[in-house]
Amino acid sequence: MSGKIAAIMLGCALLATTAVAKEHPGKEQILKDGYQGPKTCETCHPGKAKEFLGTVHWKHASKVDHVDNLNPNEEHGMKNRIYTMCNGNDIVNNLKEVPPNALGKTKFTGCNTCHPGDHASDVGSTGPQAEQAIDCLICHSSKYDFSKRKPIKDKNGNVVMTQDRSTEAAANIGRPSIKNCMVCHEAAGGGAMIKRGFSMAKDAEVHVTKGIICVDCHQVKNHKFPTGRDPNNWAHDGIYMTCVGECHTSKPHTDADYNRHTDKIACQTCHIPRTGGAFSKDFTKWEKQSNGFYEPSTLKREVNETAPVYAWYNLTVSNTPTFIGPKGSRTDGKSKIYPFKVFQGKAYFNKKNGQLMSMDFAPPISNGDSLAGVASAAKILGIKDYEPVPGWQTIYFGSNHQVTPKNKALTCANCHAVNGVLDFKELGYAAKEIEKLTNPELYFEKLLKLQQEDE
Amino acid sequence: MKKISSVIIVFAIMLAASLTVISTASAETIKITGVISKIEIAADQKSAIAVIKDNKSGESISITIADELTLDKLKDKRILEGDEIRTKFEKEGDKNTSKMFKKTAGC
Ligand code: HEC
Ligand code: HEC
Ligand code: HEC
Ligand code: HEC
Ligand code: HEC
Ligand code: HEC
Ligand code: HEC
Repeated sequence: MSGKIAAIMLGCALLATTAVAKEHPGKEQILKDGYQGPKTCETCHPGKAKEFLGTVHWKHASKVDHVDNLNPNEEHGMKNRIYTMCNGNDIVNNLKEVPPNALGKTKFTGCNTCHPGDHASDVGSTGPQAEQAIDCLICHSSKYDFSKRKPIKDKNGNVVMTQDRSTEAAANIGRPSIKNCMVCHEAAGGGAMIKRGFSMAKDAEVHVTKGIICVDCHQVKNHKFPTGRDPNNWAHDGIYMTCVGECHTSKPHTDADYNRHTDKIACQTCHIPRTGGAFSKDFTKWEKQSNGFYEPSTLKREVNETAPVYAWYNLTVSNTPTFIGPKGSRTDGKSKIYPFKVFQGKAYFNKKNGQLMSMDFAPPISNGDSLAGVASAAKILGIKDYEPVPGWQTIYFGSNHQVTPKNKALTCANCHAVNGVLDFKELGYAAKEIEKLTNPELYFEKLLKLQQEDE
Repeated sequence: MKKISSVIIVFAIMLAASLTVISTASAETIKITGVISKIEIAADQKSAIAVIKDNKSGESISITIADELTLDKLKDKRILEGDEIRTKFEKEGDKNTSKMFKKTAGC
């Protein structure tokens, strides 16, 4: 059985490495004719650009049906959501130049810098011009020169994102590597590993060590990216995935003692025992940096430095102004225990209706005035009737990456010892049950045997 | 013969490793933010030296970068001369070795 698992794992790894090594059949043609943007690709891959415009990576939104208090007919995502990891969205924080700070310095900022367009064709735009604006190479080239991708003002004074459209970059096409994906994913949330707190370095993650990359697990078809049910990653391309699928079954262990747990405990709970990154931010207080700009004050930890919080999750999401996190219970028959990274953020709420308000970061970045940021965002959104009051929001992020080596996965005593990682009471177990669940009888013989084998 | 020399190399590496362990104990960790005025990637591509102008003191400091992830960002120009970065490095005699090297970013 474990031989079979090893074979499957090896299969996945081989799939990864052979695909990377293959040379792109279009290379000769591109070297000969040069690269004129997506239309060059479309001579051999017709329809790809139009197809891309319909995905989350272009729209930063989709219809969402598993989250409370949303209109199921409207689209939601980074385009228009408001939460306190980043207190705004693409609309209020549209890419722009901030007003000069006290030192007279200015810079470009905006959420939609993480969009593979040129800003003239922005998040969710459609039509032939948008099709030709897509930066295919940011995901597909292994020779992308990032000094060529930056916000600048064009001759009409509009802010545009430039791209590397060199023949050199276009001649080196393939499946996206971890690096291609991490261009945007690493710094989501305001800096490297801030939001997710996971590392995809070779020595940090068991799959990556074996050569498995993002798109081996996220098996993208027609630019639709499968995703999971992170309570704070709403937008999706209509395809869901979990750890169980092509590579793993729901009973993957040779040891039945582990398999008996998989109906009630998600794989991630035992296999991703740590998390990290920012755990709290205060958007009402911006700190002055040595360069004269301000940043929201942030408490953060290193990758793998924090313990997750465990909760029952039935894959539907509670969404109120002060809480966005998992719904579920021990008894609903659908929930499992998952690990979460809990984050708490302070921002302004509208006293008139209790809703969380968003902030345009341009004013506070240059002078620290967070209320000016709220006023600017309210103006952009056409909100007139408001009274900002500071308050806290708690949000739960899924902890779905950086699988730890198997000898560090949680084992019996990590949970069943009296001071184990699970708070059985909080999870809904009665005193009598807890007594049983924390009795060494459950694991003593087994761990003793393992200890003897080790000595 | 080949085998012997590789054993010697391994021994040398171990020796070097143990020496670094001893000396890091006395090394000092410093954090600065500043603009990169120069990036030089070593001929063997295995390390780079970046010169940073510290925002606070105005002093220019040379920092050696050897971790793969940051090196990669220097090579494909995700981090450029003129960019402002935040770094944590270990000072040991004349040599400053980067422990963290990131672009500054708001949210
Ligand atoms: C002259 C024709 C031609 C041009 C131009 C061309 N391709 Fe291809 N491409 C191919 C062929 C043929 C294949 C192999 C098709 C297959 O495997 O189904 C391919 C495969 C691919 C693959 C799959 C690679 C893999 O390893 O799985 C990607 C991604 C790709 N092309 C992207 C692009 C992009 C982006 C452009 C524009 C920069 C482009 N192609 C331009 C002919 C071309
Ligand atoms: C460096 C790239 C990058 C920048 C800049 C960025 N984001 Fe994001 N954001 C991402 C990525 C990648 C995701 C999806 C994965 C994740 O959540 O980790 C995301 C997800 C989100 C989501 C959740 C969307 C959903 O579908 O539920 C929100 C809300 C969000 N971002 C807000 C913002 C705001 C507000 C800003 C600007 C102040 C911003 N982001 C800037 C990369 C970025
Ligand atoms: C956000 C990243 C991203 C962008 C931007 C992107 N792609 Fe892709 N593309 C992917 C991924 C991921 C795959 C699947 C690779 C795999 O698993 O083999 C893919 C696959 C492909 C393939 C091969 C499979 C297929 O569907 O035919 C082609 C061709 C392709 N892309 C062309 C393009 C073109 C042309 C553009 C620009 C119009 C583009 N891509 C933009 C991520 C991207
Ligand atoms: C140009 C920036 C950018 C690049 C490059 C990029 N992403 Fe994303 N990605 C985003 C943003 C922004 C979101 C969140 C959009 C939202 O939720 O509104 C996102 C969302 C996602 C999601 C969840 C939503 C969905 O589409 O199902 C997955 C999974 C994902 N990305 C995987 C990848 C992978 C794998 C790669 C590499 C092939 C990649 N991304 C490359 C910016 C990027
Ligand atoms: C070993 C397989 C694997 C690899 C490698 C992997 N992912 Fe995932 N990813 C998953 C699974 C499984 C989920 C969904 C889990 C769930 O919700 O049950 C997920 C979820 C996500 C999400 C949704 C938000 C979240 O964190 O849950 C994003 C975005 C994402 N992955 C991006 C990436 C990017 C970018 C890379 C490469 C840097 C990557 N993934 C590498 C398996 C993988
Ligand atoms: C109750 C905790 C727990 C749960 C839940 C759990 N695992 Fe494990 N798993 C472990 C431990 C501990 C090991 C290491 C066991 C060993 O080496 O004997 C392991 C080993 C593995 C291995 C390596 C097997 C091998 O023979 O090398 C794989 C693959 C695996 N688990 C996948 C999964 C998947 C997929 C799920 C969800 C369906 C899951 N696990 C759920 C605790 C768990
Ligand atoms: C991630 C935490 C975790 C780990 C690791 C874990 N367990 Fe459990 N175990 C639980 C939880 C939670 C339950 C209760 C599940 C339920 O509600 O049915 C449970 C239930 C059990 C039960 C059934 C108790 C009863 O009377 O209903 C046994 C027996 C058991 N575990 C033994 C083990 C052994 C042996 C190991 C190591 C191989 C182990 N557990 C590892 C969390 C864990």
